[in-house]
Order: sequence, then structure tokens, then C-alpha cells
Amino acid sequence: MGVRLLGLGARMAILLVFAIFFVAPILWLVLAPTKSDHALVTSSPFSFGSFHNVGLAWRHLDAYSDHLYRRWIANTLVYSLSATAITLAISIPAGYGLALGKFPGRKLILSLTLVVMIMPAASLVLPIFLELNALHLIGSVFSVILPFSFFPFGVYLAYIYYATSIPPELLDAARVDGCGEWLTFRRVALPLAKPVVALVFFFSFVSNWNNFFLPYVVLADSNQYPITVGLSNLLASTPSFNPAVGGGGQTTNIFKPELALATLVAVIPVAIVFLFSQRALVRGTLGGSVKQ
Amino acid sequence: MEATRTRGLRVPRGAPFVLPYLPFLIVFGIAPTIYALDLAFTNAGGGWVGFHNFVRAYDDFRFVPAFKHILIYTIVWLGALMVFVVGLALLLHGRATRVSATYRFLFYIPGALAGAAAVVIWLFMLDPTVSPGSFLLRHVLGASIFAQSIAPGNLPYIFAMIAFWTGAGGWIVVMYGALNTIPPDLEEAARIDGAGPFTIAFRLKLPLIRKWIAYMLILSFATGTQLFVEPEIVQHASFGLVPDTWSPNQLAYQQAFRYADFNVAAAIAVDLLLIGLLGAVLIVSRSGLFRAED
Amino acid sequence: MKVKRWWLVPASLVALAAAVAALVGASTGGASSGKVSGSIEVWVDAVRLPVAKLYAKTHPNVKVKIVTYDGDGNGATTMQTKIQLWNRTGKGWPDVVFTEQANDPVWMGQPPFDFAMNLKGVFPASLLTGWPAPSLAQCTVNGRLVCLQDNLAQEVLYVNKKLMAQFGYQVPTTWQQWAALGTKVAKEHPGYIIGTVGDSYGHWLYLWPDQCPISQVVAPKTVRINSANAHCTRMASLLDPLIANKSVSTVTIFSPDFAKTYGGDDDKVLLMPGPTWYAKDIFGGTLKIPAGQMTAAMPLRWNNEPPVTGQVGGGPWVVSKHTKSVAAAIDFVKFATTSLAVKSKPGALSPGYPSYGPAATVWLKNLNKDPYFAAPPGAAMKAAAGLVWKGWSMVTYPDQPIWSNSVVTQLIAGKSLSSLLPALGKGLSNNAKAAGYRVVNK
Repeated sequence: MGVRLLGLGARMAILLVFAIFFVAPILWLVLAPTKSDHALVTSSPFSFGSFHNVGLAWRHLDAYSDHLYRRWIANTLVYSLSATAITLAISIPAGYGLALGKFPGRKLILSLTLVVMIMPAASLVLPIFLELNALHLIGSVFSVILPFSFFPFGVYLAYIYYATSIPPELLDAARVDGCGEWLTFRRVALPLAKPVVALVFFFSFVSNWNNFFLPYVVLADSNQYPITVGLSNLLASTPSFNPAVGGGGQTTNIFKPELALATLVAVIPVAIVFLFSQRALVRGTLGGSVKQ
Repeated sequence: MEATRTRGLRVPRGAPFVLPYLPFLIVFGIAPTIYALDLAFTNAGGGWVGFHNFVRAYDDFRFVPAFKHILIYTIVWLGALMVFVVGLALLLHGRATRVSATYRFLFYIPGALAGAAAVVIWLFMLDPTVSPGSFLLRHVLGASIFAQSIAPGNLPYIFAMIAFWTGAGGWIVVMYGALNTIPPDLEEAARIDGAGPFTIAFRLKLPLIRKWIAYMLILSFATGTQLFVEPEIVQHASFGLVPDTWSPNQLAYQQAFRYADFNVAAAIAVDLLLIGLLGAVLIVSRSGLFRAED
Repeated sequence: MKVKRWWLVPASLVALAAAVAALVGASTGGASSGKVSGSIEVWVDAVRLPVAKLYAKTHPNVKVKIVTYDGDGNGATTMQTKIQLWNRTGKGWPDVVFTEQANDPVWMGQPPFDFAMNLKGVFPASLLTGWPAPSLAQCTVNGRLVCLQDNLAQEVLYVNKKLMAQFGYQVPTTWQQWAALGTKVAKEHPGYIIGTVGDSYGHWLYLWPDQCPISQVVAPKTVRINSANAHCTRMASLLDPLIANKSVSTVTIFSPDFAKTYGGDDDKVLLMPGPTWYAKDIFGGTLKIPAGQMTAAMPLRWNNEPPVTGQVGGGPWVVSKHTKSVAAAIDFVKFATTSLAVKSKPGALSPGYPSYGPAATVWLKNLNKDPYFAAPPGAAMKAAAGLVWKGWSMVTYPDQPIWSNSVVTQLIAGKSLSSLLPALGKGLSNNAKAAGYRVVNK
């Protein structure tokens, strides 16, 4: 019994240490907009400033280039959700087919997917840009949404999930009952896929939300930027990060508290998505659906 | 070859489900990869030059240092992932799911931050004069100002720490999800048989999530050797104290966009691809990742 | 067995193209006769955005599309990336670009990027005489005038008049007096500083004014880099004891650490060589030094040698050679650089010292009225405008990162500047060669 408690204590201690490591910087981020630029540097990292400062920081942020920040957030929502919807529609069935199907080229597609995932993304951006240009998509939101929809990581997640946790007997049972392939998928495999759907949904969403390089290259209009490109644009407008801006940076009123606030607000949608995906993730064991 | 009869047509099982994915794979995956491979062996005019670009890449004065940096980094990074991610996932996969869910949320939150967003945070976390972790910076890194925190010798460890901070949470979630696919009856049976928590964790759960761990290792090895975001971030935040060609991927980026030399950039990309593939082949063959029945 | 579905490739592309054909949109502007009109696309950073908007508002005949981007600052490769992609597709170039990197026009004006228009003969010659000669020289690449500097960033000596009087010190006029003062300060008032070498542009502040030849284009694609030259070594020897006794800091003025240690109400900045744009924005804004203390004095000179000074930035405007609305583009640049509606007052529209002389005169008059300064700083700035040493050329590769990671990192580790000059020279040479330059010593 004593050993048990010691083990429990050790477990709690380890989890707590790591929790502090992950959370302390975030806590700093949450508290940063409450302080003035000067106070950020001089007062304690976890001190609370005032809500007034938060309001001030928001007003400065919002005033940047005519509410450009709001547009960036809106853009990112559109890109991420649209692309994730397409991703789910193509990746879950693909993972299913690759895991539980038997057709020529199955291993080839798996290998190619893996190779493409390992190829450094920066080297693919130029060819993708040229393809998009050939399709006259440069300048349209599809130049971002379509490449985002290609999410091989999600296909692999679905593949591994289906390969390891759905016994083929389950599907055979459905087929014996007279279901065709599509019905088998819809009635048996899809409902059981809730955990991996949740996983793919938020990994895809977060990957799209955080993607910098592709939109940076293919989007020319700052009004179309997602928040990643926008944030680096903001960073470049503040002298603390970009002395080249010279004295003028002071008049755009973007300092460390505004940057912290911009970062914080950009994190909120992702946090919400995570919270919602959590519930579906916790569920998901089979429990007695196979009669051996 | 098993098939189903649909209106007299023999359709290989599973094939139609993969169909919608294929155009995307080709247009955004395979075609660009072939194009990039082509660039690595041709010159700016399109003529074939064999391995000339690879030689030129190797001769660049930043090439060897970059690969040296990345070697140390990858070792530290993979080690941390293997030990801490799997370990933390196992620790979390106990009873109290609400507590566990809270921890997973906390671990994951940094992963939600976009690259430029992490700049703001780490600029301060690494500055001993304002960081909440200044004690650690002073005593572990021996740094009393920011520029000392990012001294060249510290960089592989700093980048591994930042990469871990942003990346571990996601993998912990995946591993946790993987652990959830283990039928609880198995665990119950083992417990009844008298197995303690360590035995259950290492001899029951760990082998059953082998495929997921293999996947994590393959991807992390590749993303590790392709490190770009963290050194780029710290380079900006430090006004250039860290070079913009610290990692090979950064060098490739500079070659492509600063020097307009897409061919050398593609050569470096192929180098990184081969390294990643080597790792993948090794891991796939030893873990049976592609075997459908398991 | 072969993959059977290769026909999916063209099929999918056709499907995609058909699906999005309706999204194609392109518009071209047309120029008409009479008053300046046309349609231009202007890329600016956030600081120049008010200028672009003012132009659009006051010139209804011109259709102006404004794009704000990161200004290509801090060694970024934004513009190089974009221009390459536009070149490859043969379209998409903006008409006017503002960049914060003073060396951007050098590669913009040469192959393979080949983006900048030659302004000689296109921009009104009568206005061009308003720019100081060093500024026009900086914008001249292979005989072509590829840019116009928006604002000058000549180096002056900032003086904390209040503290200097308080300690009974004389304002130095030469580097030697400045160094002697540093030794005195370290003894009598330790903790106070007379400058810093830790900025990413430290070499522009200390090596440029001493005519150190480490960035001197002597022929097309040939650059002289000689960090062992006497001009470099003597300045390093002057600085080393000051760095050692900490009267010259090794921390950048933009770090929180600097602001905390040397700024605020009990600030410790006695003297600071710095560009014109430091003025109120850095001392008052970033460092929060109270009003009534700072002013600017003539830049330091080496003993009684002819006075020269350095420069820190000064962003240029570049006109694209692909523009279809030349008149409107030139009109825009003219407005942004010379119009008094933009340049008369220090503020949001004109934060930096205007490079156009007549506008600078008005700007300075207003700057001198600012109650922040202990004494009018304008005279020193004006005098320094023409003193920027012409022997430091802009090159296609940025040299700030090289200074930062081969010198500053080691200065912080305790090495002397003199011992780091060879590494600086080597780093610059390597980068020059990688960028296609031939490197010479003499």
C-alpha cells in the first residue's frame, strides 16, 4: 500500500513538473496584455496589470491597418474549416480503403504518401505555386484551401487506426448480413471511427491554422493573409523586433502587449476545437461488438 | 484477389474509397515531388547536370556546419520524444479521465501556437532578466542575458526544447488515443493475473501501440532533420545572433529565395529526403508498419 | 502491377479547372491623357501605409491598390521570394515598392531579379538635386538609378545634456575625446554608458564612420573586404578598452535587458552614437528617458581628419520596370518623398529625416520645436546629412547578420573586437562569394 502511494505521488509529481513546463509560458502570455510595454519588462512575469491595458492593447491591435487583424482571423477560419472538411471527406475513407482493402497499388499509395510527407515542404512550394498558376487559382482562396486539403498525415492516422482497431470479422459480419461495400463502411466502419475523425479533424485544423509557408508564398494581398502570415507582418512592424522600421514603428502602436494579445486571440479558436475534440477522443473502445 | 460483385463489375475491395484522395495526392504530393527531384539534377536552363548541384551544395561554406547542428539536434529531439511522450501518455492513461483530460489539454496548448506566435513567448522565456524560468537559465545555461542563452553551443538543446514544447502535446494526444484502442478487458485480465502497473505499461500496452510509435518516430526523424521554424524564429527574435542558415532546411530556403538557385535548394532537399527515407525504411521494416493484418 | 489510374491526373486537373474557372479575375488599369491618372499597386510596410492612403485620397484620378507587407526588414527574403515567383509567371508585379532594407535595390536592379526601373530621365531631374550626393550614390547600381531613399539615417552623436552637465563633462567632438571620456566614466560613474556595439548594425555605427573598407564595391560584382585595414583595426583598438570597462555596452538597444538596465527614469545613457531616427522614438519611446535630457550633436570624427559619418538604414522606394502606369508610379514616389503634405512634420506620416533637402528643412524646423529635447537637435542632423562616407557600398547580401553572429555573439562571450575582425572579414568574404561576388583585399 505504501509503495502504491509512493508510485502515485511520483506520478503526480512528474505530471505536475511537465504541466508547469508547458503552461508557464502560456500563463505569461495570458497575463502579458494586462501590462503596459514598460511594465512587461520591469515587473514580475506573472503579475497582473489591469484590464484597462487589455482594452488599450485591443484598440491598438484593431486599429492596425483598418481592422486587418479581424480579417486575418476570419480568413484563417474560412481556410482551416473548408480545408478540414475536404480533408475529412477524402482521408477517412482513404485510410479505410488502405487498411482494410486489398487492391493492387495499395502498398504503393502508402509508400508514396509517406515519401511525400518526408519531402521537405519548402521544396514543394514552388511546384505547387506553378501548378496553381497554371490553373489560374493564384489570388483566389482556393490557392490555399486546396493544397491545405491534402493532408497525408491524416490519411496515415486513419490507416493506422483502421488497421489496428477494427477487426475484419466485424466487416464480414455486416457483409454476411447483405450490406454492400458502401453500406458496410457507413454502417459499421464510420461510426466506429469517431476517435480518429476527432484526431484528424483537429490535427488538420491546427495544421491549417498554423501553416505559414504556403500562404506566405501564394497570397499576394495582405487582405487575404491567414493569421500566421499576419502575425509575422505585425512582428515586422514593431521596432522591438525589427529595428529597420526605425522611428516610425512607434506610431503604429504595436508593441509587446499588442503582440501578446494578437497571439493569444489567435490561439483561442484552436483551443476551442481541441476542447470539443477531446470528448470524442476519450470514447472509442470496442467492447463486445465482435462475437468470437 | 478478393472483390465484390457490383452489377457484374469486379471492383477490388477498398479501391473506391481511396479514389477521392488520389487527385490530391498526385497534384499536391507526387507531381511537386517529381518536379523538385527534377530540379535537383538539372540547371537553371533545364539541362541535365548529374550530381553537379549536390557538389555545389556540399561546397557551400554553411553546408557541413548545418548538418553537424542538425545531427546533435535530432539525437536530443528523438530521445526526448521517445522517453517523455510515450512515458507521459502511459502515465496519463490511468483511471481519472477528467484529470487526465485536463493534463492533455495543458500539454497540448503550446502546439496551438503558430510559429510567429512562439517568437513573442520564447523571446521572453529565454531572456534571464524577464523570464519566469530565469533561475534555470542562469544555472543550467549559465546565461545572465538573452544573448548568452542563445550562445552557439546551447542552440541544439534550446531548439529541441522549443520543438518539444510545441510538438510533444500533439503526439501525447495521438499516443493517448492509441492507448484507448486497447480493449479494457485485456488490461483487466492482466491485473487479475497480478501484473503491476509497470508490467502492464511496458509489456502489455507498449507493444500494442507499436505501429503508432513507429509512425511518430518516422515523422519526427524527418521533421527533426528538416528543422526550420525554431531556428528561423530565434534568428528573427535575436536580430541575427543566430544565423539564418543554421539548419540544412534553412540553407535550402536561402538558396532558393535569396540566391534564386532552386537547383541547389532542391539538391539539399533531396539530401534531407534521402535521410528521412532511410530512417523510414529502417523503422517500417522493423515494426511491420505496412502489414495490414495485426 | 502498374498503377491503373494515371488517367486521373489530367482528369482531375480538368475537373479542378472547370470548377474554379469562374473565379478567374483580372483587371488592368488604363492610363488616360491629361492629369496624372492610371492604376497602380503599391507595396508598403505598416509605417508608410498612411502615406499611401493619403496619396489615394488626394489623387482621385489614380486608382491605388495598397498592400501592406512586412517591409522586407531584418534580412527577410520576402521581396526576393515574391519577385522570383512573379518573374516565373510573367505577371503580378506591383508598380511601387517600399522596402526597409537599404541594400534591396542592389539585387532588385540586377539579374536574375531585374525588377527596378532606372529612374534617371524619368524622375524630374530638378527634384533629384534635392537628394544628398551620398544618397543618390547609394541608389546607383551599374550606372542606373534604381531607387530613391525615402528618409536619411545619418549617424549623429546623441547627448544626454542633463547628465553631462550634472557630471561636469564636455561634449566630445572626436572619437579620441569620446574614448577618453569613456575611461573617465567607467571610473567615476560606473554603470553609465557612452554607446553600444551590440546592435545588429554596430559595424555601421563604428566601422563605417572610420572608413573601414569591408563593403566596398570596386567594380561590377567585385567587392573589397579588408578587415585588417588600419581604419578597422584602429577603431577596434579604440573600442576594446571601453567594452572591457563596460562604458560601451554589448547589448542591443532593442532588448528588454537594455531598456531595464539603461533606460527609464534613472537612465544611464550619457552619450550614444546613433542614426537620426533614434531621436524621440527610441529615447522617449523605447527607453522611456524623460523629456528635457536628450539632444543631438555633430557626429564624432577621427582626430582632425575630414569628418565622415555612418548610416543605419534609410529605406528606399523602388519603381517596377514592368509597370504599365509609369506616370502614376513616378507621381506617387514624388508625392511620398517630396510633398510637404507628407514630409513637413515629424510624426506618423514622416517619422524619419526626409532625404529630400527642401522638405528636410521644414521637417527640422518642426523637430526643433519638440519640447522632448533638451536642445534643438536639428542642426547636427542637417550637417551630418552630407557626411555619410561613400566608400561603404550596398551589396546584394545583408551584412547585419554576419556582424551579429560572428562578432556580437563573441563580444558577449568576452572576446575583444580586435580579435574578432578576422572572423568578420572571413564571414563577409564567404557571404560575398556565395552571392557571386569576387573578393579583393586592396
